[in-house]
Amino acid sequence: MMTEMNDLSGVERTLPVERSFTKPFWDATREKRLLMQYDRVAGAYQFYPRATSIFTGKASNLEWREVSGKGSIYTFTIARRGRPPFREHEPYWLAMVRLDEDVAIMANVVNCSTGQMATGLRVRPVWAPLSDGRNLLMFEPNV
Amino acid sequence: MALHDSAIIAYGETKIVQISDRDVWELGADILEELLDKTGFEKGEIDGLILSSSMTGAGNPFWSQATADALALEVDFCQTVDIGGCSPLGAVARASAAIDAGFATNILCLYADTAVAETNARMRAFGQEWTTPVGYLGPPAAFGLLTQYYEHHYGLDYRALGKLAVAQRDHAVLNDLACEKLRKPITVDDYVNSRMINDPVRLLDSVMPCDGASGLIVTSRKNAEKRGFTKCAIPIGYGERTNLGAARSIVDPTDTGHRIAGAKCFAQAGMKPADIASFHPYDDFIIAIMMQLEMLGFCEHGHGSAFVNETDFHFTGNLPLNTGGGQISAGQTGLAGGGTNVIEAVRQLFGEGGARQVSNTANALVTGIGGIPYGRNWNTSSAMILTPNG
Repeated sequence: MMTEMNDLSGVERTLPVERSFTKPFWDATREKRLLMQYDRVAGAYQFYPRATSIFTGKASNLEWREVSGKGSIYTFTIARRGRPPFREHEPYWLAMVRLDEDVAIMANVVNCSTGQMATGLRVRPVWAPLSDGRNLLMFEPNV
Repeated sequence: MALHDSAIIAYGETKIVQISDRDVWELGADILEELLDKTGFEKGEIDGLILSSSMTGAGNPFWSQATADALALEVDFCQTVDIGGCSPLGAVARASAAIDAGFATNILCLYADTAVAETNARMRAFGQEWTTPVGYLGPPAAFGLLTQYYEHHYGLDYRALGKLAVAQRDHAVLNDLACEKLRKPITVDDYVNSRMINDPVRLLDSVMPCDGASGLIVTSRKNAEKRGFTKCAIPIGYGERTNLGAARSIVDPTDTGHRIAGAKCFAQAGMKPADIASFHPYDDFIIAIMMQLEMLGFCEHGHGSAFVNETDFHFTGNLPLNTGGGQISAGQTGLAGGGTNVIEAVRQLFGEGGARQVSNTANALVTGIGGIPYGRNWNTSSAMILTPNG
């Protein structure tokens, strides 16, 4: 059975809180740029942004690096029930996307049919505007 | 002195209800009275209080003190355990440690939550920044992602999950304290055909939020002997792991902390999975039971479906499972819910299982699952093996 998923364009999303250590991430979304924390010593990226390095426990080892946002579906679910403001906009995709930089991001996937969705599907970023000028990262099939 | 030098000497449990019309402290008072009646202790003999987390209490950062005051308990050790669903089992472990250290002798472990009637939690976590804005429903969504991952990588027989759901439901029918709404038998077809919440997680995979309370008295084994308690549950092994893989950006969400906590628990107890007489795993979603069977070593990682299909989980079977119905079929009493699994294990070891009494009371394995992190499985995994006295 093919079910078309909501593209969520009609959802007035709750504004994400912004913490002192995540401001660079959110500032970059205003220009639709994706920044990731990178630990120079461990040589690895992390997400979600933390106050410290998940690898070494030293915030001083972290820097922000811009990434393309390309990746693939790691796992996914169909949200058939959402809380407001998502209520009445179900069903919609929720996925963990594995970026090519080896981090996992939870995000909505849009422009993707049920026949197309699969583990390993290549995806690219698409941005949903937030009411304060920031943008929220979503993904769509990279075909 | 060691873990096995402490003993659970009494348990108490209220009826589990969909929404409580009685205050959380009134439920706590019920448990206190039941435990005083069963032990014959004077209230003044209780010198320690350890609470589970409580959504009702979550608005008060002084929760253990406030509850001690509300119940007029004067104690030498007072704390709330805040590792979510692992709190009730964790409270027993912490009571043992406190008794071992000489901080207290008779500790009331109290698990009371009226999360449906009155929740005061305001979660400060990653959620407001990273998951609420994407329409994440919380645990059902987390288990939807997790179950899909399991199915893709290992293959998953949903009828095997249904078999677990049916066994637990049959047990809830025999449990007078289980939530009445859930005390109706179900079939594997009912499970498979129940409506999807977060594909492939179904309604009958999930716990129903309820209100209720339970509790235990933990004392030193020496004191238990001195006071003549013939029914005891002795903790002989415990393991707990929080945030498995914290230093990795990509994890396999079907690999859980129970692999570590279970190994530690079994080693301390000097036992192996085949020795387990009854199994009382924390059950927030049906697949969590299968994943625990794998991680605790009852079967190999990814082979849970086959193991479930060849095992009889009824109280008369070869591996009795959550013989009171578990949380999924008795109702989840908020963050006190893990108490449902712990109390049933103790009840069985005491030989007080009534219509659902297991025949082998040599031991019981109880587990905890607590907290849901970002896109993984759960924060804390715990396991404890209990044996009867002597």
